[in-house]
Amino acid sequence: MEATQSQSRREFLKVAGAGACALCAAGVLARAAAAQDDEPQPQVAMRDAMWFDALPDKAVRCTLCPRECVVADLERGYCGVRENHGGAYKTLVYGNLCSLNTDPIEKKPLFHYLPGTAALSVATAGCNMECRFCQNWEISQFRPEQVKSRIVAPAALAGAARERQVPTLAYTYSEPVVFYEYMHDAAAAARAQGVGSVMISNGYIREPALRKLCEQLTAVKVDLKAFTEKFYREVCAAELAPVLKTLEVLADVGIHTEVVVLIIPTLNDAVDETRDMARWLLKTMGPDVPVHFSRFHPIYRIKNLPPTPLATLERARKEAMDAGLRYVYIGNVPFHEGEHTYCPSCKKVVIQRVGYRIDSSGLKDGKCAACSTPIPGVWTQQQALAQRARRGSGG
Amino acid sequence: MVTRREFLVEVGVAAAAAGAAAALPRTLRAFDVAPPAPAKSRVVVIRDKALAAEDLSAAKAREFLQEAAKALGGAKKPGDAWAKYFSPSDRVGIKVNCLGLPTSPPVALALADALGAAEVAPDRIIIWDRLNRELAAAGYELRGSGAGVRCFGTDALAARGNGGYDADIATSGEIGSLFSRIVTDETSALASASVLKDHNLAGLTCGLKNFFGAIHNPNKYHSSGCSPFVADVCAHANIRGRLRLVVCDATRPQYHGGPPSRPRWQWPYGGILVGADPVAVDRIAAMVLDRKRKAEGLKSLEEDGRPIRYLAAAEERGLGTADLTRIEVVSIGQPWMDV
Repeated sequence: MEATQSQSRREFLKVAGAGACALCAAGVLARAAAAQDDEPQPQVAMRDAMWFDALPDKAVRCTLCPRECVVADLERGYCGVRENHGGAYKTLVYGNLCSLNTDPIEKKPLFHYLPGTAALSVATAGCNMECRFCQNWEISQFRPEQVKSRIVAPAALAGAARERQVPTLAYTYSEPVVFYEYMHDAAAAARAQGVGSVMISNGYIREPALRKLCEQLTAVKVDLKAFTEKFYREVCAAELAPVLKTLEVLADVGIHTEVVVLIIPTLNDAVDETRDMARWLLKTMGPDVPVHFSRFHPIYRIKNLPPTPLATLERARKEAMDAGLRYVYIGNVPFHEGEHTYCPSCKKVVIQRVGYRIDSSGLKDGKCAACSTPIPGVWTQQQALAQRARRGSGG
Repeated sequence: MVTRREFLVEVGVAAAAAGAAAALPRTLRAFDVAPPAPAKSRVVVIRDKALAAEDLSAAKAREFLQEAAKALGGAKKPGDAWAKYFSPSDRVGIKVNCLGLPTSPPVALALADALGAAEVAPDRIIIWDRLNRELAAAGYELRGSGAGVRCFGTDALAARGNGGYDADIATSGEIGSLFSRIVTDETSALASASVLKDHNLAGLTCGLKNFFGAIHNPNKYHSSGCSPFVADVCAHANIRGRLRLVVCDATRPQYHGGPPSRPRWQWPYGGILVGADPVAVDRIAAMVLDRKRKAEGLKSLEEDGRPIRYLAAAEERGLGTADLTRIEVVSIGQPWMDV
């Protein structure tokens, strides 16, 4: 998960102020701000949930994510943002954004998707996991009424991106699966206005919901937290198998996907685990799926472990490349050569990244400028929207 | 039909009253030289038809609470009884449960009023739960300031940040949570004024699970029958160090279909359970619930796949005892097992 950093809940006022100013200029938040005394407030924004089954005695079973929470009347699911109202399941986060910012697309990270462009990035409260290393726990592990937020309609969000010539909406920071309905509608609105949509997710979503969502999205980044059930169970309060299923579905759908693995010392840094993961990704996603091994920093409930040694990340990268993956990156280590994209044929740098400064001069029309080897990715907005249109029409 | 477990409790009560040691054979009496067994956890169950009345008043509930407190503490005067648990210097938080079937306001108000016998000033008492709107919906009169007993939700302290929850993540066993600032900032002592009701996941909601309402993220901790999470919340110093008394409202409890309020499964038990051992209170409360379920032709909670898993975890964490041989039930009025 990318850190909100300046976008945390506590600093929402400061950051959203900047983001909101930009949006206000576009007329997006002006009405909302006027109605709310220009001050984000803890609030809920209720709307019918899309994925649930009714059960006897006014209970429901949520079918959005693999937890399939059985929720009694007036209770909430594990995510904390869906509530049963007399047998009707409701999302409480339809557009009440607690984070709103314009980020480089590389921050997501997406390295093979419109490099050097910006993404209007949004989040609501809530998550369907509880990772003990969560960088954004101050929004992801909270309920909507516990964080300050502004309500922004899907069309307004898409319109703001278009007016500001930001090509992409990013649903990110917390866990967008839990604000599925808003993401779905915003992505559809964006699609109508020529704006792409990327989901930055833990991949904890059931297949039917994912397939429907993919009709609107243009790219997905999945955090593959580890490659053992033990890690998922003990560190994330979740399961690995559904995440692997998500990656299989994404490969089947054909949407551009990148994978991030946060390497945490002693917990998921074993060579065998990395090798097994790389082989599975190769087999399932193919050799061209971009994979990012990111450095862990102590936070939230894991403060007793050191930051990931650089040597561990470099070893993981080597293992993955030896397994046959062609585009393997090192993350959260600024200025490292593992941030660049290299041509798998001539080994020349095709995209150079120094922090968020991007030099794509080595990439010409989606090919290596030196040897013309095709480099897989989504390099133009037209390409992004075209692949989405194919999926939307049943392709 | 009295089950073996219920029989043990009954025998325990009878044995305590009769001085059973004298009846033991000589070989067993040799154990008399061993250190005395730890005192049993006492749970008082006071019952009366008046407690089941729909128009129950706080004044009437207070009369019964005073009797229960005297029986619990072995005191002759209410003041002496309450003084065992609370002192005038305490700032007391009475945690009620307002989600679904709520703690009856007359019972919570009676408890607040009764604390006067321990010379706890009314303005040092807060009746609280998570949200103002939930308290209001349950019939509580919100009162944020003034000379009397105050009543408000954690969200009333949202101006202090984090929606009214403490700034620092608190860990205990499996849980990592922010505690309500009502606990951390406003109280030195707690009473769990819970309500006895069935829970679709935990099996039971009573004195211990009530404190899920003290953390910001209870939604994360409902798997595995809420175990060990309920125990972990209550084992944190914020709760363990403050909890003095459990008062369980069983005036009109709900034996099935909880936690939402479902009147068709509520019945006029007309009882209040009081104890200083929260595990023991929950254990006896579960027996009341199970006995009613059987009487109504339902499976027991265990047979229904909802055993009260968190009780063993709570016992392991030293929060009290779920061992029926170490619980003494003092029944006042109608027998407690007569459901």
